[in-house]
Amino acid sequence: MKTPFIRHSKNGPLQIGASIPRHDAYSKVTGQEKFAADYYGENLVWAGAKRAGIAHGILKKVDCEKALQVPGVLCVLTHEHISGTNRQGVVRKDQPVLVNDKVRHRGDAVALVLADSEEALKQGLVLIQCTFEELAGVFDPEEAMKPGAPLVHDDIAQNVLLHGEIKTGSGIEAEKESDIIVEACFSTPHQEHAYLETEVGWACVEADGKLKIVCSTQTPFRDRMEVAEALGLEFSGVRIVAPYAGGAFGGKDGVTVQTLLGLAALNAGSRPVKMHWNREESFISGTKRHPARMYYRLGAKADGTLHSLSVRLYYDTGPYDHLGGVVLTLGLEHSGGAYRIPHVHLRGWAVYTNNPIGGAFRGFGVPQVNAAMEQMMDMLAAKLNGDPLTLRLRNALRKGDKTSVGKTLVCSTGLIDCIQTVSGHPLWKNRNAWKSEAPRFKRRGIGIAAVMQGSGYGPVVPDYANAKVELTVEGAFRVYCGVVDMGQGNASTNAQITGSILGQNATSIELVLPDTDRTLPSGSASASRCTYTFGNALIGAAEALRKRILQRAADLFMVPNIEEMVLVNGAVKHLTTGREIGLSQFAQFLNDSERISVHHFRAPVAQEDLGISANLRLHGMPHTLFSFGAHLAAVEIDELTGILRIERYMCASDCGKVINPQIYTQQIHGGVGQGIGYAISEELNLERGTILNPDLSTYIIPTAKDVPDIESHAIELYEPTGPFGLKGVGEVAMNGPLPAIANAVADACGTRVHESPLTAERILRALQSKNREKTG
Amino acid sequence: MNIQFRLNGKIMEIEAPPDRRVVDVLRKDLGLTGTKESCAAGDCGACTILVNGETRLSCLMLAAQLQDREITTVEGLSNADSLHPVQAAFIEHGAVQCGFCTSGMVLATVHLLTRNPYPTRSEIRAGIAGNLCRCTGYHMIVDAVEKAAETLASEEDS
Amino acid sequence: MKQVFLPHNLEHLWELLDREPESALYAGGTDFLVHMKSGKVNPSCLICLERISELQGIRDHGSQIFVAAATTHATILDDPLIKTHFPVLNRAIAVLGSPPIRHMGTIGGNIVTASPAGDTLPALYALSAEVEVRSCSGSRRIALSDFVVGPGKVALSHGEIVSGIWLQKDDGWALQHYEKVGKRQAQACSVASLAATLHVEAGIVKRARLAWGSVGPTVVRSDKVDDYLAGKPLNLEVLQSLACLIDEIVSPISDIRASADYRRMVSKSLVLRLSLYSQAG
Repeated sequence: MKTPFIRHSKNGPLQIGASIPRHDAYSKVTGQEKFAADYYGENLVWAGAKRAGIAHGILKKVDCEKALQVPGVLCVLTHEHISGTNRQGVVRKDQPVLVNDKVRHRGDAVALVLADSEEALKQGLVLIQCTFEELAGVFDPEEAMKPGAPLVHDDIAQNVLLHGEIKTGSGIEAEKESDIIVEACFSTPHQEHAYLETEVGWACVEADGKLKIVCSTQTPFRDRMEVAEALGLEFSGVRIVAPYAGGAFGGKDGVTVQTLLGLAALNAGSRPVKMHWNREESFISGTKRHPARMYYRLGAKADGTLHSLSVRLYYDTGPYDHLGGVVLTLGLEHSGGAYRIPHVHLRGWAVYTNNPIGGAFRGFGVPQVNAAMEQMMDMLAAKLNGDPLTLRLRNALRKGDKTSVGKTLVCSTGLIDCIQTVSGHPLWKNRNAWKSEAPRFKRRGIGIAAVMQGSGYGPVVPDYANAKVELTVEGAFRVYCGVVDMGQGNASTNAQITGSILGQNATSIELVLPDTDRTLPSGSASASRCTYTFGNALIGAAEALRKRILQRAADLFMVPNIEEMVLVNGAVKHLTTGREIGLSQFAQFLNDSERISVHHFRAPVAQEDLGISANLRLHGMPHTLFSFGAHLAAVEIDELTGILRIERYMCASDCGKVINPQIYTQQIHGGVGQGIGYAISEELNLERGTILNPDLSTYIIPTAKDVPDIESHAIELYEPTGPFGLKGVGEVAMNGPLPAIANAVADACGTRVHESPLTAERILRALQSKNREKTG
Repeated sequence: MNIQFRLNGKIMEIEAPPDRRVVDVLRKDLGLTGTKESCAAGDCGACTILVNGETRLSCLMLAAQLQDREITTVEGLSNADSLHPVQAAFIEHGAVQCGFCTSGMVLATVHLLTRNPYPTRSEIRAGIAGNLCRCTGYHMIVDAVEKAAETLASEEDS
Repeated sequence: MKQVFLPHNLEHLWELLDREPESALYAGGTDFLVHMKSGKVNPSCLICLERISELQGIRDHGSQIFVAAATTHATILDDPLIKTHFPVLNRAIAVLGSPPIRHMGTIGGNIVTASPAGDTLPALYALSAEVEVRSCSGSRRIALSDFVVGPGKVALSHGEIVSGIWLQKDDGWALQHYEKVGKRQAQACSVASLAATLHVEAGIVKRARLAWGSVGPTVVRSDKVDDYLAGKPLNLEVLQSLACLIDEIVSPISDIRASADYRRMVSKSLVLRLSLYSQAG
């Protein structure tokens, strides 16, 4: 049954553009990889948070007496034990580590219990008694903005965390010049990240007094600052180590267990402490994709040229900023989709409520608006009696065009190629025949959607990375990865980039995963930036090291011209004579600092002044680098039950040149898979801030039977600023499925469902009201 | 209680509370952290193990039920020199992303191919439907299972 | 810590039940252990039925088939006797849970759990299944529809267990149908389901037995519906005309998975699918 396996079957030096199996695949497939969840040290202390359980109220008292009597419970900590700011957050630091005055959602942590065992911890948590003075809450963003609505934060009027407004051309005035107007309101739900590895980590105070936290995170360097500030420690007194994460998708962009773990470790003597949120706690206390309500009016000329757009967006950010302002800003920036629209008036509000916390999630505010805009395009096409694909082609952004916020596109722009790939595909060309073959009780529909996703941090927040590569004394190359690999494979790509520049096989590359003591600050694993930003830094570091090695080797061989020297796997070789020296031997000739190369890269930002407010600029608008795509979904709907099946799915994506087709395709497939869940089944059911479906049997993510094969085409335009011509691929595919499927459903049913997900129940209702229209 | 069973081919004798969940015995007591836990309620398949060759969820099985059973975890599929063809196919064909579903997915595949050596893509999807994956969209997992089936079939032939 | 007993035969089980009257029984544990973890149940000790030989297997008794209670769904799914004589049960189990759940869960467990959404129940109602109940003093047989008395409630006395299910072979039931509405294609709890066994000759329904799941506190069945169909052609018009009768017999609730309205709509529309068999019949 066993076959011998060569670690990387494609032997030879790593190459750009090759589908090389991932570096981490072997250890993951054999169960050897140690995730943060996999640590069970000697003498372990278990920590857990007592959650408020009410949506809004004043904390009066925490009674720990009974909990402390449980054998094995070591201590119960409250905000009084915190000597720092007791606040965390990315932009506005408004989230308490442990509630000191007011509870703002059910998942707020009120007390922290330390115990010798999980059983004692569980008992201790149950026995803590909290007394609250309950307050009326706000659970809908538009309601929350009304005068007199309860305030989530006393200092934030009308609960508006961020209001953004963009006007271009003559704004809404231009509607008068539009020949056709379509108008609609769309709403999208909270989406749960539902990574299989829930929030987890362990921490200890090391012998030198340093607080070490090993956790599943996307942001080790930012975590270090947040933890230090909240707990009143020096930055240098905190070390964050980030192993491979068991999925993150934005949900680990920022502090989850870190600060609580730090606090626990500071109170656990020298014992290691572990915290692992269970699935329900992950639902209740983790962040979600912001639910949105979106009011759209789109105007066009009779020939289908887009002319005006008016948008109002309401994003429910929950009780804390987290990244809510930034998420809204990306939503605003992308609300006009991937089209030229000369006159826009875009307004958006990120609004505090007592619902679960809105935060980062793959796509970051864009999947909501893209779903709305792409449905508007189909509605417009229908009103024009035109073809939805042609309408998109007519208005699609080209390089040099202005986006709907007025940003001139200077990056490679392959949207037209993507749409044309769809238009030439048999699924599109033969759509009418396929639809007409629907079996009894079934209806078929085909829908398309264009997508666009900005990457990086925008014009103000510096988007940089610092790469470090070392030639080890053993003759291998060690890459110090500054950006987390949460499963997307960027660490492997780092190995591939390094190997390709330094002529090495996979086996000669070692990876050091992010560790604030060992690797260099390189920002978050987010915003489709990981390989773009870190890759550019890594190219610089590897190239410099290569030159240094070749120069020193040339000197050693007394060869005048370094062009005659080449790095091969494990050695430096003189091409003319064939003489070579092994890298382990060669490394002896270098001193420690010579063996190391470091390079800093800072991503380019938009240069032009568009008159965008300083606050929106701070929150990331505008971007300068965009990825694009076009998606097609073929669906079949059962008339009797409303059940939707996605029969076929294809997409074409412009994410620049591809370094590793396998990893690239994984990202597209993954984005589409999550997008399909978002489109057809995923939503939190809330009742006054309480999640009614906080588990994986009632929060429905797709199984292997719910997702079809996904055909992915890469439109490989070279992006001059990208490493090897690449752009970000992590998020863009997430934006396609909801609108493509919604358009397919509308195509099949002859009526549109404006509220997602497109559940069987919503579809059946739409079908029935359509039938009533016909008969009535 | 004293419990005797075979774990990854080795005879084991352990002392464990009879009502301890098998996933805890494996991960916390025996250090076999390849078996993951994600939902603790039988919804996700991350804790899948093979019990007498069939997939079971170790979060819904108590230590006492290990008695006399033959247990295989992901660690038992390979040794230092060789991988199970399913593992090799998962690596080669891009079926691994974050890796947290991988152990369960691999074991589900091993069992599926034992029962049905020549599955269609649709049968593969049904066979792994108890194992949620949040990263891959499943396509490349299905590819890997197909390829593993081919490898196993060619090994049978030779 | 709770004791967990694994008796190998019924004799041992009766002893344990006598000795540990407060114990709880489970077989697959797919429901029970979830409830125990969440604290919904907290018995003092556990008896696992998975190794009791008498509770395993499917046995042909001529005109009847006996399915022992601790037989797993996976075993039933593979069984040729079940496939041949009771395809409606085979189809219900094919869409139950997921492969590992089917390796663990048992038919007896599904019955005793008596969830309105239990996947095997509508099929077993449509097949007029009888439950065999045993205790140390003997056994009795009871119609499944009498055995299940409410959601989560069955007519089981202390010291009694479900030892199996009796199914009557009936060549007339040539047409067997099962359809489940769930929130996804696998691993889905039933939102509504329909099981039907029909005897159709020359397009005319001779006999019919329909049973709905998840649209009432227990499986919904009505002689009125079955009688109404008898003697009528199996076509869309006839099936559509069942709507009023169905409206009377179902009493769905709204929950996290679906609204009562939706369940009601689907209860009526699912029967229309039977018209697909009209040509075949």
